[in-house]
Amino acid sequence: MSGVGEGQDPVAAFRVEAADLLDGTEQALLDLTHDLGSRELIDTVFRGMHTLKGSGAMFGFDALAAFTHHCETAFDRVRKGLAPATQELVAVTLSAMDHMRALVEVQGQASGAGLAAAGIAAAGEAILAQLHAAIGDTAAPPPATTRDAATGNSDGGDAGEAQGGWRIAFRLPADAMANGTNPLILLDELRDLGEAEVVAQTGAIPPLDVLEAQECHLGWEVTLRGPATREAIEDVFIFVMDDMDLRLEPLTAAAPLAPPLPAAAQTPAETPAQTPADRPAQTPAQTLAETGPARAARATGESVRVPAERLDVLMDRVGELVIVQSRLAQLASGGINGPAGELALRSISEEVERLASELRDTTMVLRMVPIATLFGRFRRLVHDLARETGKVIELVTDGESTEIDKTVSERLADPIVHLIRNSCDHGLEPPEERVAAGKPAGGRLRLAAEQAGGEVLITIADDGRGIDRERVRAKAEANGLIQPGQVLADGELLQLIFQPGFSTAAQVTNLSGRGVGMDVVKRTIEALRGTIDVTSQPGRGSVMTLRIPLTLAIIEGLLVRVGEGKYVIPLAAVEECIELSLEDDIRSRGRSMIQLREQLVPFLRLRELFDTGTRPDAFQKIVVIATGGERVGLVVDQIIGSHQTVIKSMSCLHRGIPSFSGATILGDGGVALILDVVQLVALGQQQEERLRAAG
Amino acid sequence: MSTILTVDDSSSIRMAIRIALSGAGHTVQEAGDGVQGLASAGNAKFDLIITDLNMPNMNGLEMIREIRKLPVQAGTPIIFLTTESDEGLKQQARAAGATGWLVKPFEPENLLRVVRKVLGQ
Amino acid sequence: MSERSTTEWDASGQLEVLTFDIGDERLAIEAVSIREILDLLPETRVPGAAALVASVVNFRGKIIPIADLRVAFGMPIQEATADNRIVVIETELDGEATQIGLRTDKVHEVTILERARSSEPPVLGMRWRRQYVRELVRLAEDVVVIPDLANIFGAVPGAASTLQH
Repeated sequence: MSGVGEGQDPVAAFRVEAADLLDGTEQALLDLTHDLGSRELIDTVFRGMHTLKGSGAMFGFDALAAFTHHCETAFDRVRKGLAPATQELVAVTLSAMDHMRALVEVQGQASGAGLAAAGIAAAGEAILAQLHAAIGDTAAPPPATTRDAATGNSDGGDAGEAQGGWRIAFRLPADAMANGTNPLILLDELRDLGEAEVVAQTGAIPPLDVLEAQECHLGWEVTLRGPATREAIEDVFIFVMDDMDLRLEPLTAAAPLAPPLPAAAQTPAETPAQTPADRPAQTPAQTLAETGPARAARATGESVRVPAERLDVLMDRVGELVIVQSRLAQLASGGINGPAGELALRSISEEVERLASELRDTTMVLRMVPIATLFGRFRRLVHDLARETGKVIELVTDGESTEIDKTVSERLADPIVHLIRNSCDHGLEPPEERVAAGKPAGGRLRLAAEQAGGEVLITIADDGRGIDRERVRAKAEANGLIQPGQVLADGELLQLIFQPGFSTAAQVTNLSGRGVGMDVVKRTIEALRGTIDVTSQPGRGSVMTLRIPLTLAIIEGLLVRVGEGKYVIPLAAVEECIELSLEDDIRSRGRSMIQLREQLVPFLRLRELFDTGTRPDAFQKIVVIATGGERVGLVVDQIIGSHQTVIKSMSCLHRGIPSFSGATILGDGGVALILDVVQLVALGQQQEERLRAAG
Repeated sequence: MSTILTVDDSSSIRMAIRIALSGAGHTVQEAGDGVQGLASAGNAKFDLIITDLNMPNMNGLEMIREIRKLPVQAGTPIIFLTTESDEGLKQQARAAGATGWLVKPFEPENLLRVVRKVLGQ
Repeated sequence: MSERSTTEWDASGQLEVLTFDIGDERLAIEAVSIREILDLLPETRVPGAAALVASVVNFRGKIIPIADLRVAFGMPIQEATADNRIVVIETELDGEATQIGLRTDKVHEVTILERARSSEPPVLGMRWRRQYVRELVRLAEDVVVIPDLANIFGAVPGAASTLQH
């Protein structure tokens, strides 16, 4: 995997990585609740903690490293069979994950929040106390003491100082050279410490027939003159110290040569370095136990991970483009002469067209992430909701490998959280109610994704009590959304729940009463150019279906002309195109309804809506568009054709205009506005209602 | 300068190592776990390999043992990264064929110092 | 909104500006906010947009609005001439750096204005809305107007940040 957007900042990379690690570890913990004995899961949790601690300490996330250390230790004990994995341990570790997220979050931010620090520290302490209780560990384990071998602290070693120098005799382990230790480098290091005389001892070299070329049988005696300390010398041998023979004697005026070495290995004096865990100053965290998409969205930041092979494909295409470009340059400098030149030009044009389309696809694919990352977050949510409500909820997911645009995925998190909360809170019944209704005590929530054409279908289905039509009707009547007794198709009735301000909750509960209604969910989905539909069977459950375009950046469009302006209609919304003859146009004036087979469909004359001030073409067309079951016809002057539309946003000076969702650049460099299908259908419906009301 | 392979499942650590080493003029290749590390080590001679021990798919100890069987990496120094105070693990890594170690967290200077130490530069 | 923005004179009381004409008025905009000066481009009308920013153009692959300050200043709209230029500026609207093309009748030059020669717009006797004018500065025998772009564009309906987020 290569990181795009991670750049050269390891701390930023660590934040992304920490979010991934925490998510992955959380998944393993959730799996562990079903399979407490799984060694593999325990290892995964341990390794996640371990990496988090190690990398966290590397990049100054000291509070995180210190806190994670305790969890790592707990799971190390489980791993080694010293403590059992229990539901309590998993539960407290899950809350520890949230604390860790908070610690990642606050690290590096201004740490002036001294008041909040106490609360954070206390929350962390509380979790650790629970952790130790869960692991059956009365006392907190001592913080890790690490020794930084390579830094070779040489202070405080005055006892080991010899003014005149040292006589050093050493023999390396036989496998030292095979294991990458180069004796010549060691000798060079000793020479760096002072004036050295080196004598090789060849006495231990075995006869040639048993000599292993890679083995090291030489010994050395070095007379080192100068003020080097014992520690400095031992530091030279630090990596091989434990397995080697090393003998050090201070040089005195008439010291005899050291006798050949015995096999006793010496242990170097240890200088414990202070680890981050020991440092008293810890950065405060402010918010804890924060769950849900808010933190997830933050943690993922703006970077996207791209498998390296996808980048390779992109590079290949770019390489081809460079070649075509040079062909084009050649042709341009030589002049386009005769049919051969034109043929060459046409071939280049076709090549560029192919490359552009492939580049487009490849680039789109770079932004795609499996929906599993999104779904993964909801497991924790459902786990928590089940605990809060006392319901038994089984979450089933399907189609997790379905890929979706990264931005879309992030923006979907909040609406889906809301839908899941709704299902768990209102849809699924408490166990006793389910049993009474002849259902299994445990409710089932199914989260599924599949790709269908240019869209991803996401369904959130529960097997709960279904939507109470009578309550919906009563509420809608009370709110004036419908007339009392108004006849509505079942689908229309259910659609009412998406109306602003509508809420079917008889009582505001902890879960759903958060001031977000289904109308907000619907708006968010529509802002992604998606749709939401609901079906529900009393006693059997409800299904929410989200249809989301695969990517935000590019759509298939139908390019049309209205007056002198060109507009793009998203092709996904287009049902059909029919001719509007001049006679029909005149006949329908004032009515603006057209008979489309069995149904009367309202239509909008875009020429009038857009106030073009032009006369209608002789052969106008009606483009019938549909969204959420509602249809409306758009009268245009000309249908130009289909158009690959790269969506560009408009400035804030134009964003408030309801008819348009964006703009695009045409082949000639001109601009075409993209019609907002949802808004235009709504406008058509309003017009129809006005006309109906008028008589 | 030298060609160095860094094997770590933590991309931030790999990035930190890459920045430090390439800043000192070394060429750095990265691998994300023991299997990838072993594959890289089988493909090209490195002057030095720096590896984490705790990795998915194939842990560092196992990878070091396997690399030591590769003729192309005969005598290639291998430095392992460890957060353990556990002397036992160092012993195991030494026995597996590691040349030396570096304790996390480390500063770039520590890393460069160890690299100079084993490469003799 | 009627709170006028302040001019960022430098330490020596000077300001580098681009001067241009709209109708018979000479305007000045800080040189730092000028992005580019373009010949007229094919514009695309945006139905339903405010008259001040009735169209958009493709500016290097970005869709930017074209503003006709005549509308803000209540001046008659005129046909394009060969001297017309689009001055692309960048200004912060709604906390968002926004590029806008200003339709101008004639672009003059980059010049230095002196704070010592500037004055607040008079309360009376102006044909323009006072909150749209930040400062009047004498330059040679002319008086140039530093328009208050934040107020002018902030008044566009639909530009409010509450609409879509």
